[in-house]
Amino acid sequence: MLVAVFYYPVATVFVEAAVVDDRLTLAPVVAVLADPFFTGWVAGLITDPVGFLAALADPGALWDLLAATATGRVGIIGFTAYQAALSTVLSVAIGLPAAWILARFEFRGRRTLRSLTVLPFVLPSIMVAIGFVAMFGANGPLNRALVALGLGRVDLLFTLEAILLAHAFYNAPLVARITAAAWEGVDASMVETARSLGASPTWAFLHVVAPQLLPAIAAGATLTFLFTFASFPIVLALGGFELATVEVFVFSQVQNLEYTGAAALAAVETLLSLGITFAYIRYERRERGSRGARPQPRRPLLPAEWTPGAVLTRLAVAGYAAVAVVLFVGPLASMVLASVTGPDGFTLANYAFLVERQATGAAFRVKPLTAIRNSLVFAAGALALAVPMGVTVAVLTGKRARGGSLVGALAMAPFAVSGIVVGLGLLRGLVFGVEVAGWRITATGALAVVVAHAVGAYPFVTRTVGPALSGIDRRLVESARSLGASRARALVDVELPIAWPGVVAGAAFVVAISVGEFDATVILASGTDSYTMPVAVQRYIGRRLGPATAMGVVLLVVTSLSFLVIERFGGFVREI
Amino acid sequence: MRLDGVSKAYGPTTALSGLELTVRPGEFFTLVGPSGCGKTTTLRLIAGFEEPTEGSVAIGGEDVAGVPPEERDVGVVFQNYALFPTMTVAENVAYGLRFADPPGGASRDERVAELLELVDLAGFGGRDPEALSGGQRQRVALARALAPGPRLLLLDEPMSALDAQLRERLRLQVREIQSELGITTVYVTHDQEEALAVSDRVAVMDDGAVEQVGPPEAVYRRPATRFVAEFVGNNNLFEGEVLDRDGGVATVAVADGRFRVETDARPGERVAFCVRPEQLRVGAGTNRLSATVTGAEFLGPATRVHLEWAGPPLTLRTGDPPEGSVALGFDPGDAHVLG
Repeated sequence: MLVAVFYYPVATVFVEAAVVDDRLTLAPVVAVLADPFFTGWVAGLITDPVGFLAALADPGALWDLLAATATGRVGIIGFTAYQAALSTVLSVAIGLPAAWILARFEFRGRRTLRSLTVLPFVLPSIMVAIGFVAMFGANGPLNRALVALGLGRVDLLFTLEAILLAHAFYNAPLVARITAAAWEGVDASMVETARSLGASPTWAFLHVVAPQLLPAIAAGATLTFLFTFASFPIVLALGGFELATVEVFVFSQVQNLEYTGAAALAAVETLLSLGITFAYIRYERRERGSRGARPQPRRPLLPAEWTPGAVLTRLAVAGYAAVAVVLFVGPLASMVLASVTGPDGFTLANYAFLVERQATGAAFRVKPLTAIRNSLVFAAGALALAVPMGVTVAVLTGKRARGGSLVGALAMAPFAVSGIVVGLGLLRGLVFGVEVAGWRITATGALAVVVAHAVGAYPFVTRTVGPALSGIDRRLVESARSLGASRARALVDVELPIAWPGVVAGAAFVVAISVGEFDATVILASGTDSYTMPVAVQRYIGRRLGPATAMGVVLLVVTSLSFLVIERFGGFVREI
Repeated sequence: MRLDGVSKAYGPTTALSGLELTVRPGEFFTLVGPSGCGKTTTLRLIAGFEEPTEGSVAIGGEDVAGVPPEERDVGVVFQNYALFPTMTVAENVAYGLRFADPPGGASRDERVAELLELVDLAGFGGRDPEALSGGQRQRVALARALAPGPRLLLLDEPMSALDAQLRERLRLQVREIQSELGITTVYVTHDQEEALAVSDRVAVMDDGAVEQVGPPEAVYRRPATRFVAEFVGNNNLFEGEVLDRDGGVATVAVADGRFRVETDARPGERVAFCVRPEQLRVGAGTNRLSATVTGAEFLGPATRVHLEWAGPPLTLRTGDPPEGSVALGFDPGDAHVLG
């Protein structure tokens, strides 16, 4: 199943990249690597390694290289890695204070806030992009605030900074969530032991707590790099083709029907991502366990005594909270605001436009109701496909399964392979048809979209169901089996009822991801009427911001509903 | 139930090597040994949760190699009860009856009621397992394992999670139920006292091998190896060279002492013998040694006294604890020669 819907399509991309005129060749891939347009100065290393390294003997040349790297003159792949690295640094910088506050302070709404850190995972990226456009645009709240304060306007759109901020919006909560979990896993008695041995609180933190946080921070940073490396809608909407990453360029090549070049580039990207993912999964397996410690006590947000130290700490918290509100609430609020404001203040014109378009639009126009209907139908389809797949993979990769590690790495690969690549593979593999024993098998655009969504979403089912399943005492299963149940029967009778909240949370993820999925959909839906809400947003954004924000709000409502379901079964989501 | 030359290895680690065991029909058979000795692995091989690397497992005369757990007709009770949390007590007990008809032509409900009655939990059927105490949960687990009428009952440290008093009461109840049903039972425990108290026969295991099999009394009184002597009954060990022999009684030199024990060993050979703590006496017995008290533990009915002398440390169990330097003794008949 996984082979048919994921490995086969991705493999076609590789085949496309490596087979020219029925001959196996690395030419397209080498062509990509050796072209300064894609890889910048690294191209020199590929085409003429000896001469390149010889030139490096000159310190000035080395310095030039560093300068080229720092200013982003490193080709598309280089730029992609460069922005991913900067995004990672920014996300960690913003995520760590949040982890500190979540792990070490007690206040009303802490649990809710903690659950909210999962929100970016289910927020459609195109919607976030709209939010950032609305917030940082020429007439957005940010610039209006700056003008009101007598300061000049800043133009953040189509700059690297805007992309980085949007990436931080997505990934800082991820860093915060992983780090906070590790922080809460630090046993208070270890810190107390250090203190009683004479360490000050600072030393105790540096010697005892920090080493236990580092692996979590590294994990968060790796994931962030992975996600931002393959980021597509944000770069497309906020960077345009001038600040193109690999993903965006692959997309534009697909639109120009340059399939071989697109495939070669996609293959390079996929290999890079898979390498990082594999390293991450290996690391993660090593780090499992060590739970059930007595966490350190949390401080109240309002101190009992207003000592200078306590005041300073709280000021830091308040300052961070202000930044967080601007970064995280700002874009969404701006989007909602922009959808109901026009040149003359409050207006429902944007929503009226959607309704009107639905009623009177020509057949080739993007209709909102069609988009909503498609989104929901695809979500249902993805649900039917991804939940059984995710559960199966969770069972196969359980900690007791044989070869679980390898299966796990292979099965979690969709995490790492970008939606664009899957979309491209499905497009070439299924939509254009395959010959199997003389029969030509083709899948229609809609089916391909469902498959793409399921592929993107099932790892989340695996991630919610997996911990729930592996937390189950194996002796429960063994009891059931010695009472006469087969292995499959024990799964249905004993394990799944216990892991049910994980299944539901996973299903909610599937719905949210399917509804928000953009990368693969936009490739598969181009030129057809199987467009979804995010694709509709993207098509509207080309004309005017207003209708796009209105469509974005509709999307927000649907996504929030699925978040409510996830939040209800929040306990299991923590493991992600 | 029969294990024939059974070995089990996990990669380079050997958990069991060449195990030979036969459990007779209707017998209460106990595997006892320190943690890591392979007793739980043995149980898991019998239940079919794992397959032996070498050798064969036979239940009721039939080789069960490759037979999955659900077809082995074996009831298992684990230390942590392993009750299904999403089912009520009655549903737990009835679970095995989904796959097999209740024995004796009873209906499923009748069978569940019958078993809950058997374990003194009549009327608890509607409750959640979470709402029960540890002892009650363990009895539910027992009822669940027995419900389909298995031909073999396996108990894996079923009392370890319970407090001492409850443990003694429950093991008595388990034994009564076992005798009443006449079901062949293999019981795993690390507690030698428990093993001696409930079993028809005991197998003492160490390091993946069986050291000795026999009725509790035989294992206690006549340990076959040094390990069994130390593990069962905390025996005092003596080891030395035979000086001379007079008929069936030899004189053995241990440290600065000379002891007469019953053995066929010839002069010049080395022998080891053990004396149980309650058989060492103060100022009595024909074999004498002088020792110094180093500490004492008050156990209630008796006191355990630790002593040192020229040989390895000794323990003495007595109602009248001595202090300072004492003359200890034992009779030749109380010394059991090993091997």
